[in-house]
Order: sequence, then C-alpha cells, then structure tokens
Amino acid sequence: MTMQSLAWILVSVIGAVAWGVLALHRGESINAAWLVLAAVGTYLVGYRFYSRFLAAKVLGIDPTRATPAERLSNGRDFVPTTRGVLFGHHFAAIAGAGPLVGPVLAAQFGYLPGMLWIVFGVVLGGAVQDFVILFASMRRDGKSLGQMAKEEVGPVTGLAAMIAILAIMIILLAVLALVVVNALRDSPWGMFTIACTVPIALLMGFWMKVWRPGRTMEATAVGIVLLMASLVGGRFVAEHASLGPMFTMGGTTIAWLIIAYGFVASVLPVWMLLCPRDYLSTFMKVGTIVLLAVGILVVLPPIKLPALTQFIDGTGPVFAGKLFPFAFITIACGAISGFHALVASGTTPKMLRREGDAPLIGYGGMLTESFVAVMALCAAAVLDPGVYFAINAPLATLGGSLDAAAETIRGWGFAVTPAQMEALAASVGESTLLARTGGAPSLAVGMAQIFAGAFGAHLTALWYHFAIMFEALFILTTVDTGTRVGRFMFQELAGHVWEPMGRTSWYPSTVLASGAVVAGWGWFLLQGVQDPLGGINTLWPLFGISNQLLAAVALAVATTVLIRSGKARYAWVTLLPLAWLLVVTLTAGWQKIFAADPRLGFLSHAAATAAQVAAGTLEASRGARLIFNDRLNVAVAALFMTVVVLVVISSVRVWLGILQGRTPATTREAPYVATTYAA
Amino acid sequence: MARWLAAVRRVAGMPDYAAYLEHRRHHHPGEALPTEREYYAEYVAARYGDSPTRCC
Repeated sequence: MTMQSLAWILVSVIGAVAWGVLALHRGESINAAWLVLAAVGTYLVGYRFYSRFLAAKVLGIDPTRATPAERLSNGRDFVPTTRGVLFGHHFAAIAGAGPLVGPVLAAQFGYLPGMLWIVFGVVLGGAVQDFVILFASMRRDGKSLGQMAKEEVGPVTGLAAMIAILAIMIILLAVLALVVVNALRDSPWGMFTIACTVPIALLMGFWMKVWRPGRTMEATAVGIVLLMASLVGGRFVAEHASLGPMFTMGGTTIAWLIIAYGFVASVLPVWMLLCPRDYLSTFMKVGTIVLLAVGILVVLPPIKLPALTQFIDGTGPVFAGKLFPFAFITIACGAISGFHALVASGTTPKMLRREGDAPLIGYGGMLTESFVAVMALCAAAVLDPGVYFAINAPLATLGGSLDAAAETIRGWGFAVTPAQMEALAASVGESTLLARTGGAPSLAVGMAQIFAGAFGAHLTALWYHFAIMFEALFILTTVDTGTRVGRFMFQELAGHVWEPMGRTSWYPSTVLASGAVVAGWGWFLLQGVQDPLGGINTLWPLFGISNQLLAAVALAVATTVLIRSGKARYAWVTLLPLAWLLVVTLTAGWQKIFAADPRLGFLSHAAATAAQVAAGTLEASRGARLIFNDRLNVAVAALFMTVVVLVVISSVRVWLGILQGRTPATTREAPYVATTYAA
Repeated sequence: MARWLAAVRRVAGMPDYAAYLEHRRHHHPGEALPTEREYYAEYVAARYGDSPTRCC
C-alpha cells in the first residue's frame, strides 16, 4: 500500500470519527472543531474520489482538448486563467449572503440537521450541479443555462427557464433586502456606515473612469480606507445628539431607500455606482470570510446549541414548518444553489485554461462555499440558544418586551434574562437586539464573539458593526447587480411582446424595465417589512423553494446533456439530486399553499385573516392587503412549481426519445480542437 | 508584485489593460489599440450585462 492511500484512509477515518462524535454526543456543549473536521474530511474524500469519478467516467474530461478561453481568447471575457486565480474568481462570484443566512435560520432545528444537509448535500448535489453545468457550458463556448435549456431540451423549456430565473431573482432580491432592513432598523451606526458606501462608490467610480482611468486597485484601496473610517465614525454618529436620530430609521423608511437605490443603480451607467461597489464588496467579502475561518480555527469555540431542538415538529418561532422539508429549503446555498448554475454558465467557463481545471473550479469551488455555510452555522451555534431565539424570533411571538421575551423563551426550555440581552446589546453598541430576524444580526453577534476571542474583546462593538457592514454591503451589491440583470431579462422577454422594449439601449425601455423589476421585489420587500411575523417567515421559504427549483431546472438540463452525450448509464449522478429536490420543493411548495396551520399555509392564513376582519379584531383595509399578499404568494409558489414540473416533463420526453431510439442522441458541443498548451 | 496584482485583479473581475495589450500584440499585431480609458469603459459595460456575475 502506498503512502498516498494510507493518507486517504487516515482522512476518511478522521472524518468518520468526527461524524461519530457529532452523532453520539449528548451533553452540555461540543467543540466547533468537530464540525470543522467532519466537514473538511467529507469534502476531501468527496473531492478526491467522487469528483474524479465524475471527471473521468461521467463527463470525460479531455486534457488534450482546447477550452473556449484558448480558442476564442479575446483578452476581455475569454481569457485563459491559471487555476488558482480562477478558483478565487469563481468563489468570489458564487459566495454571497445565502450560505451565511440560511444555516443561521435553520439552526432553530439544532445544529445537526443543517450540518448533515450542508455537507452531504454539497458532495452529492450542489457541487455536482455546479461542476456538470460548468463542464457543459465549457464544451459549448460558454453558453448560458437558458441557452443550453433551449438548445438541448427545447424552446419551451428555454422560455420556462428564463421566466423561472426572473421570478427567483425578484424573490431573492426582496428577501435579501429584507435581511438588510432587519439588520439596520433603529441602528444609526449601521445605517450611517452603509449610507457612506454610496458616496464612497461614486468617488471610486469617477476615480477609475474619469480621473485615473483603469486604476482600479488604487481606487479600491482608497475606498476600503474610507469604508473603515465610516465604520469607526459610525459610533460617533450614533452617539451624537442630533446626528444619531437622523440615522435612526424604521423598517419602512429603510425599505423605500433600498428600493430607490436599486432603481437608480439600475438606470445609471455601471461605472458610476454598480461596478465600484462590486469591487469594494468583493474584497470585503473574501477578506472577511478568510478572517472568519481564521477566527474559528484559532478560537475553536464551544457549540452551545443542542444537536436537535423540539422545533423539528414544525412549531419553530423563526419560520414555520417541520424539519422535512423545511430544513432542506431554508438551507439552499451552501448545500445546493440553482443560482450557481447561472454563474457556472456565465463568466467562469470562458476563463478555464484547461479542461482538467474544471473539477477544482466547479466541484471544489462549491465545496468551499459549503464550508462558508458550516462556518455560519458555527457562528450561530456558539450563541446561547436563549440568545439565538431572542434575536431571531419575531416580536409578535416573543411578546413585545424584553421581560415577556425572556418568559416566552424560558417556556421553550432555554434560559435568557432581560439583563443578559441588555448587556449584549450594549456590548455591540445597539439599543436592542430583540427580534432582529433575518440571520445577519445573530451571525454578526456570533462573529463578533469569535473575533473578540481571537483578536481581543475590547473591540466587540466594532466587530459587530464590521460584520453587519460586510453583509449589508454585499447584499446591496447583489440587489443592484441583480436588479440590472433582471432589467435585461425583462427587456428580452418584453421584446417578444413589443419589439421596442427589447432594445436595451433605448432609454424609456431601460427606465420602464428597471421600474418593473424594482416594483416587483419592492412589493415583496414592503410586504415583508410590514408582516407582523417578521416577513422572513414567508419570504425565506419562498426564496429557498425558488432557488432549489432553479437547481432542479439546471439538473434536468444537466441530465439531458449527459443522455445526449451517450452517458445515460451515469445519468443517476444528476438524477438522484434532481429527484430529491423535486420531492423536497414540491412538498414544501404544497405545504406553503395548502397547510392548515395559518403560520405555514398561505390559504389558511388568508382565511384566518378574513375571520379576524369579520370579527372586527383587524382593520378591513389592512386585512384586505394581507389577504392579497397571501394570494400573491400562492400564485408565486404555484408558478415556481408549474414551471419546474413543465421543465421536468419536457426533459423526460427528450430522455425517453433518445433511450428508445426515436430521437438521435446529438448534442451541441463545439467540435474538438487540440490544445496548444503543454501538458 | 505585478503578477500578484494581476492575479488579485482577475479574482475581483477587474480589467487588466496590460494583459489586454499583450493579447492584442500577440494575436492581432499592427491593429489600432484602444486607450486605457476606452478599454476600461468597454470592459465594465460588457461585464455587467445580462448574466449574473454574483450569486446570492
């Protein structure tokens, strides 16, 4: 036996032991080291064995074949890039708020369900999807998921995929904006820092475009320095007698500000606001994630959350619904994220230097995002469970005041005192941390604790606001780039109906389409802000369902590509995750529409609201709006489910046609060209 | 140092004018080249188009 196989046996044993410890542990607390070991051990084994199997047997990666980057090299988007650099580029593109928020919310079930789904979901599902789509796009000159759906499955599927992408975008932008609203509500420090990012980005934009063209690094360095200054200055503003109240805003005001920002960013030229913010947030994101990893590895904090809580029965305060299917909906990014299929069929496939680099970028990149999700889970799980629920449960559930909240949480079996919550809020420089649903604040408190443990406790308040700033910064970058992408898609779709709308350079079309997209997510955002149950309860599951259904579309396309390339015997690699996602998302969608519990089902919530109006306990106009929103949510969930069922049915017809010999097994791969690069 | 900066630029999706000039000189010698200002404007406008560059 060689040293190498001994090393792999050792890695497997360590991973298995760590899982054993996690599964069998019963007691006060367990160290985060076991979560990290179990995750990394599983990733290494998955990468070494499963991704190699996919590369060699299933996809047939060919190291002698020239990639689009080599053949179509243009120095702009088709650029052969060394694997280490491209790995960084791809990771920076796929990692976002999703893997940070989902695991924090799902922690209401305990740490174990989330941990299992994040790690095994990624190895068998998420990383497979990213890798196969990246491969398929690489073999097709970097075509997008929508184009591949159209060419490999059929025109109806292409259109359905496009509508699904636009719809998921709307829900995604709304829910992410809601996370920011809940983090910045009544927080003058956070609000000031985030408000400063707009003038900082404008300054950078003019710097790079007008004053010193192309000096992106220089401008970004200045931007980061200014950003840190505004972070430190935020405390002064928050404590200032007249500035403090000026930056203390309610949820609705912040929501309208974000809506206005999204519209302006979509209409303005990209160099002015959108591109500089993208640079700023990319550096902050990658830097903070690295810092978080270092913090967790240095501190190795004890996990205080139980492995399982009683809320697996569906009565959880953060969001309604049982462990199955809702743990698998709440955590999308980090385990499997359909959105990745868009990036894996976007910029990345045009930059692969060699085909052999695809496993590291596609499969390995997603494993790394999964590790980010594990770290987010750790950051939530290092909090006292009582504190976790005080931050994440909606105010209506908690009972309005600190005393009532402590009482409610004690009733759930977790200890927390009003004094403890007050001291915690004071230590992070906030007036209150109660009911800040959305994941960002509890993650920030957890991160602040970890950073304080690693780098010194006297800076806890600064670390908290650093974490809030970093999350809000890149969420708002998703909001502006997403609105812009949504605008282009809307213009393309509307162009089928009325040709002038399809002209992306026609200003009225740009304004109209931007307005339509912003109105779409803005409506859901306002609905969420005004929801007595906190909005996350409704919007996050809808987002999870839509993201997983987009993954189902991507996996259906991936399966079609495999069968068309004569690899039907290996089609199970994408069929198994596809089947699982269909079961999970269709069950969850069905429950969100039809469940009898008004906290869970939209229709029963509408009926309960109508009963309240009839009984005179709810104002008629407010009731009417709530009922309208319920019906709208029903329509959205039904739309997602219909689209995915249509895509799957049309895909299955193609598969059967090929397997029965009725349809020729042809694919749209670009012809083989030998690489000129040395091996 | 220059190589490191180039790598960081590429990770962040920033334009790299020097590499672009190198590419043009290699593949299309003798043609007129855009100024850094023109290249930057074109690159940025093309990058933030109709496909997402960032995930959730």
